[in-house]
Amino acid sequence: MGTLTHEAILKAGLYESLSIADGEAGTAKSLHRFMLRLRQCEEALAREYHPADQMRCPVHFCVGQEAVPAALSLLLRDSDYLYSHHRSHGYYLAKHAPMPALFAELYGKQTGANAGLAGSQDISFPSRHFFSGAILAGATAISLGSAFAFQLRGTDQVAVAGFGESATDEGIFWETVNYAALAKLPLVLVCENNNYSVFSPQLKRQSLDNISERVRTFGITSAAIFGNDAMLVHRTLRDAIARARGGEGPTFVEAYTYRWSGHYGPASDDLVGYRAPEELEAWKRNCPIKLIEKALRAKSLLADAENERLLREISMEIEECFRFAKSSPFPPTPDWTALNLSSATPEADRLLADIDLGDFDAHQESTQAKGY
Amino acid sequence: MLPKRKTPSRDAPGAAHPEASYADALRQGLEQAMDLSDRVVVVGQLVDYAPGVFGSTTGLVERFGTERVRDFPVSESAMTALGIGAAVAGMRPVLVHHRLDFMLYSIDAIVNWLSLWRFKSNGASSAPVTIRAIVGRGWGQGPQHSKSLHAWFAHVPGLKVAMPATAFDAKGLLLESIFGEDPVIMIEHRSLFGLKDRVPEFPYRVRFGQAAVRRAGADLTLVGAGVMVPFALRVAAQLAEHRVEAEVIDLRTISPLDLETVLSSVEKTGRLAVLDPTWGSFGMAAEVISRVAERRRGSLRADPVRIAHPDSHTPMSSALEAVYYPEQSSVVERLRALVSGR
Repeated sequence: MGTLTHEAILKAGLYESLSIADGEAGTAKSLHRFMLRLRQCEEALAREYHPADQMRCPVHFCVGQEAVPAALSLLLRDSDYLYSHHRSHGYYLAKHAPMPALFAELYGKQTGANAGLAGSQDISFPSRHFFSGAILAGATAISLGSAFAFQLRGTDQVAVAGFGESATDEGIFWETVNYAALAKLPLVLVCENNNYSVFSPQLKRQSLDNISERVRTFGITSAAIFGNDAMLVHRTLRDAIARARGGEGPTFVEAYTYRWSGHYGPASDDLVGYRAPEELEAWKRNCPIKLIEKALRAKSLLADAENERLLREISMEIEECFRFAKSSPFPPTPDWTALNLSSATPEADRLLADIDLGDFDAHQESTQAKGY
Repeated sequence: MLPKRKTPSRDAPGAAHPEASYADALRQGLEQAMDLSDRVVVVGQLVDYAPGVFGSTTGLVERFGTERVRDFPVSESAMTALGIGAAVAGMRPVLVHHRLDFMLYSIDAIVNWLSLWRFKSNGASSAPVTIRAIVGRGWGQGPQHSKSLHAWFAHVPGLKVAMPATAFDAKGLLLESIFGEDPVIMIEHRSLFGLKDRVPEFPYRVRFGQAAVRRAGADLTLVGAGVMVPFALRVAAQLAEHRVEAEVIDLRTISPLDLETVLSSVEKTGRLAVLDPTWGSFGMAAEVISRVAERRRGSLRADPVRIAHPDSHTPMSSALEAVYYPEQSSVVERLRALVSGR
């Protein structure tokens, strides 16, 4: 395919390089199952989003971008930290956070992952070390700090950040790359290059479409890959995570992919005219699920009956999630202060002496004499 | 030669404790925090060089090494994000800015991420990051080395804002910030670094939201924070020469704000002046005055007063600095007029 760019991918047409090597059958089937579940989940949410209008928050659907989260779902340990952008559902599920709490969060319910405070674009599941946020590169930079903590403590945890190519428009992204490289932090940066910042294509915002090359010049391992080949994504991220865990420093992976839906919400925004219908059709032919299914079937690893059973299971799970979310109560009016600040100080209580301040407060002669 | 002094006990009176400067009190706080917990790291530009940050980080790198006393590139934005990610993963980071003005690169990290981390996780995750920001004044610091934006940070939910005025408070509030569970912006005025007072040698706490009455008086309440506290005390001393007794309240922390101490003073004096080391508009002084007006309007016998900088950026020239910053004798005259009803 030569130098990988969106233009080169479109020119190459149908992708035929996905391969399942000997010993990779289990991985391939797990990736397939994860992507199918994520796709069904997103499509079901999209169907319910309008006109019911009960999920009253911005939702950025990730249909078409399932491969990166799928690979991470197999590679990350519970103790690893995952930070994602606003197109968060795949990453949430990649950390094995529960689907019912995702649905309830979108419905703004008490049983949501964050009790309805965060919604789709800010959702987190702290007990599984999953965090996200809507301000492009912010979470990417925060992943730097978790990697820094792991390095200081000498653990073999890794931090992973998923983000779009638009995050690389931001200065803080490059500050992050520089420091990750300088300190050789256990960090994996995964850029899902879907070419569009809402409507605006990469080459309208950046002078060159070579993010992975630019990152490499900072002195870190960097790769650009076709991001809808889930097997390739898995192998690439597996090696990156192994390097981070082994103390060999950070890796940047640019996974070229494509969002099928509009920037946000279930409806198409193609009426704006920012992308050609043929482009979307070409990417749909290179659907990450279709590509892996074809390879699985060629190796007789996926029978029709099994696929149908899988789809039935997923659809029952999703139905149950909707039932749970819709029947859950809305949160009660909170104590606003307690929501924003901690009411307890257990560490300070344990470590610091409580002394009578009055005597010190009354003896400030020196302050008075020498102030300026 | 004086006999060697014994280390005072924890409940010894203030005067029994050794003297230390504001800078050294901060250094003690950092050193003791790092001793108490290996989760504490200090990150900032030049923190591992001999002069440290105006003496407040001197000697730390020799004791704790460059891993935990971490020089950082001139990337304040990523530095703050790093602090958040480290805190979320269990660390207790202290970030240091030689001048608050440079910290403004990290407003996104502070406002869009740090302040709402606890909120948006519904209390399941927290980011106890301590951010030390030093504010300059005088010697031509000018418009990019002298901004005290404490009101900006106090405006945002989820952040605590400390403005220690004494060495004792600098150490106690720093330790309380590091081992508390919330993010803290600690505004340190550079001109306070040389001030000395009694500072216990052991690690102690000064809690947030507890103002100190630095001087008792019945005629007028002066409320200040940070560098305006010693100024208010000097003003009060000069007022006393004119038989006006001012009560001086040091807020210590402006978020949370100890309103009760201010209210009970105003009930007694009936007159209120708030001294704010920054521009007057939309600031701390306005906040204190409006909260008093909401709760004790009837107690006020005179119109409340804001003593602040003009709504202008800071000039460099020493001649202009002299007229830009509040000047003691004219403030005294203004307050005498307030008390006498002139």
